[in-house]
Amino acid sequence: MDRREFLKLFSVTVAGFALFGCRDGLFGTPGKRAHLKLADFEDEVRLALSKMKPGMELVRVPMPAALKTPGASSENRFGMAIDLDACDACGKCVLACIQENNIPLSGPQQAARGQFMHWIELFGGAPAMCFHCGDAPCEKVCPTGAANHTPDGVSAMMYKRCTGSRFCGANCPVGARKFNFDDPVASGRSLKFNANVPVREKGVMEKCSLCLQRLQDSRQGFKAFHPLESWRGRGVTTACAAACPKNAIIFGNWLDEGSPLVKAAKDRVLYAPKAIASLDPSIVYMRGHR
Amino acid sequence: MIFRILLYVGLALLLPGLAALGFSLWEGPAAWSLDARTFWGVPISLFVFWIGIAHAGTLISAILLALGVNLDRRTSLLAELTTLCALVVAAAFPLMHLGVVENFYMVIPFADARGSFANVRSPLVWDFCCIAVYAVLSLVYFAIHLLADRFQSLEDLRRPMAWLLFPLVLWVHTIVSLDFAATFVPNWQGAFFPLYFITGAIFSGLAMVNVLLVAEGCRVRLLEKLMLACSFVMLLFWGWIFALRGEWNFSVFAFAALLPQLWWVSSVRESAFGRLAISLSVLIGLWLERYYLVLPTNPETFGWVDAGLIAFSLGLFTTLLVFLRVKLRKPIEGGELVFGELDEKQAPVVEHHTEPLTSREFIVLRFPLLLGVLVALVYTLWAVASPAFETTAVGVPNVFPLFYPIVALVATIVLCARPAWNIGRGSRYLKIAFIVIATLFAFLAGMFYAGGSSTPSKFLTGVEIPAEGDSAVVPDSLHARAIWNARCSSCHGVDGKFNEKFIREFYPVPQKLTAERLDSLGEDSLVHVIMGGRANMNPYVDRITEAEARALVRYMRSLAPAHIPAPETNETAPETNETAPETNEAAPETNIPAASSDPQQTESLQQSSEVTQ
Repeated sequence: MDRREFLKLFSVTVAGFALFGCRDGLFGTPGKRAHLKLADFEDEVRLALSKMKPGMELVRVPMPAALKTPGASSENRFGMAIDLDACDACGKCVLACIQENNIPLSGPQQAARGQFMHWIELFGGAPAMCFHCGDAPCEKVCPTGAANHTPDGVSAMMYKRCTGSRFCGANCPVGARKFNFDDPVASGRSLKFNANVPVREKGVMEKCSLCLQRLQDSRQGFKAFHPLESWRGRGVTTACAAACPKNAIIFGNWLDEGSPLVKAAKDRVLYAPKAIASLDPSIVYMRGHR
Repeated sequence: MIFRILLYVGLALLLPGLAALGFSLWEGPAAWSLDARTFWGVPISLFVFWIGIAHAGTLISAILLALGVNLDRRTSLLAELTTLCALVVAAAFPLMHLGVVENFYMVIPFADARGSFANVRSPLVWDFCCIAVYAVLSLVYFAIHLLADRFQSLEDLRRPMAWLLFPLVLWVHTIVSLDFAATFVPNWQGAFFPLYFITGAIFSGLAMVNVLLVAEGCRVRLLEKLMLACSFVMLLFWGWIFALRGEWNFSVFAFAALLPQLWWVSSVRESAFGRLAISLSVLIGLWLERYYLVLPTNPETFGWVDAGLIAFSLGLFTTLLVFLRVKLRKPIEGGELVFGELDEKQAPVVEHHTEPLTSREFIVLRFPLLLGVLVALVYTLWAVASPAFETTAVGVPNVFPLFYPIVALVATIVLCARPAWNIGRGSRYLKIAFIVIATLFAFLAGMFYAGGSSTPSKFLTGVEIPAEGDSAVVPDSLHARAIWNARCSSCHGVDGKFNEKFIREFYPVPQKLTAERLDSLGEDSLVHVIMGGRANMNPYVDRITEAEARALVRYMRSLAPAHIPAPETNETAPETNETAPETNEAAPETNIPAASSDPQQTESLQQSSEVTQ
């Protein structure tokens, strides 16, 4: 064996070992935490509240109207209004969201930096989630179309189609998108509260889905028995809205006059964070009466 | 000797780098960045750095050739080799950056079997396509150059190819800059980004070629002058950024603008060590520039994996380059041993003035270009007509970034087909190589067309779901009707008669579900089709349970005779419709064992919420 051959063989072997060895175990895998309880998640919400982010600058916006994108429904545009006069930043919406959507705990390092997987975060006492912009910047840059808009105005995520390029996260002005840096199941930081929502796997973006599963259930139930009528999403509410003790979060259909959302927002002044105010958000803040 | 040292250095960097790469592939993006707000890290900055180096090789070789500036064969071959190796390194980083690496093919903007289409509005899609085309064309260009001294027909192709590559280089790096400039991040905005990126790319590539020229033991004055010019242009951009946003990075300025001024000092530029030091300092400075650009907020998270990835990129580049350089020693060095400056002293070829549109290159290129433009136009129309979703508005500007790469790719294929055929006819190896490449390409294309499985991944099925005790419930006909209306009716119609809209817009029309057909197929095979999909029908395995599928088949039977009558049963149709619900009620009992013993049942129920419109 001459030197060149030896070199070849040696490098291939070491490279093979390096790649194989790193597969598992060499650097240690995070140990499974034995039994998570709801209390762990409550603690994390408390921690998140104590590390609350500074408030966002709000500007006035008009009431959301029908989407202008092609194929959008002229009957439905789901959204929420958050009443900042009523909200006292108790954080119950955050916990309800965790339980509805099976949001995992974040790792200790990230938690220490104040970074959580929570879809709802409090900015200066105001709950903020994905604002479901009608002209969403995240959807424009998603290479695969995993981030997409439903005709009903929900900025949805298709987890199976996500390659985890994180372009959407880099392009979200309010940082509403959360990335699964590691596997929440294998690292033992997730608990399946709700069997109707899948736990997102490693390498996938996630964010507020406007409780899409509840909307889908309602739509399927309605279509089954009234297949030819149009479904307006009446009677549906999101987990955070249902959990709010002050009734400060109101879910509804912006295009349905009878929706509680339209009734509540009709005579209020509406605001949105300045960074996304021009992007036609579906979720707005209410403060003061007109 | 120098190559052996370089090989050792390369391997010494590559092996620990491979460990870092393996670790980050296994661990995912958490390996190099644990920050929930900074989504892009060292791999992207390395990508921008290496793709920049990849551009300069073509610049030096193709653009100088196209513009009629003489450069000796060995320097330009070295530059092209740099391009190829840097492209391999650059391509590795966006791939490893992905959270789900095996899904990378979803970025390719071409239809797959499910009819899903990449979102051509995303700069990442443009990026992927441009770089893929650039890689192919660079390879072709290098091969042509390598074989040109043996085949005159290839030598004649070089200038037309250079003219194709010239705009492509600028185009591709403009697209790379749009990855940043098209976003909302304040630090990344600016209309000057394309020029800024192109200059940076050329600058870093020139520095890299200069480093390699030192290793080869020679110097090319032209490239040194170009480097100096580039440093001033970069300084201009940094000054502009400072004026705009008040950002000034002293280390970048010192490494990439201040130190290159040593080219003015003759004693420095005449020593090999001096040239090496200047070129390396430019490389360091430009890498730092990319690093601070990609990670503007927190450069303090730099860890051993990041260092390992840098080592990996350097090691892979060096090893690959030295390996190819040594392997191709004969064709690269050829009979002539002259290098660099000797060639420059040749009397420049006086080009006779030619009327526009009558030059040789134009005559050779016009047909391939025309064909390329046509193909690109057809593609643009098709891509605009097939958005990723009903709700996305795709315009011509969204697809336009793919226009020239398609033109260049088609033109190159047309241009090279005949000479390649003539040369390949004589050689068995080339034939075999061609067949292997074609087979591999067809195989990969088929894989991508088929797409991945839609069954839930191990991550999802591995989750323990609290038992609710209702898993044995067998869907009744009402439930089946609900599923049919919600999931099937969009294509097959609420009444089983197809949706009119569907028939107009799609072909082929779904099979008619007559009673005979249902009977001849049998329940099991229909359940199989519902679960696994067939032709244009999507698989529903992760959305409905097998018991539900069976209930659906029975529901189909109840629909079938009433609305799509076979000629004989026409009269009796209304009666069978009345009796159908009863058979439905009776049927479930026979299926209870099958349904309740199905472990997948609860598993797949939870998937239904994952489906969006």
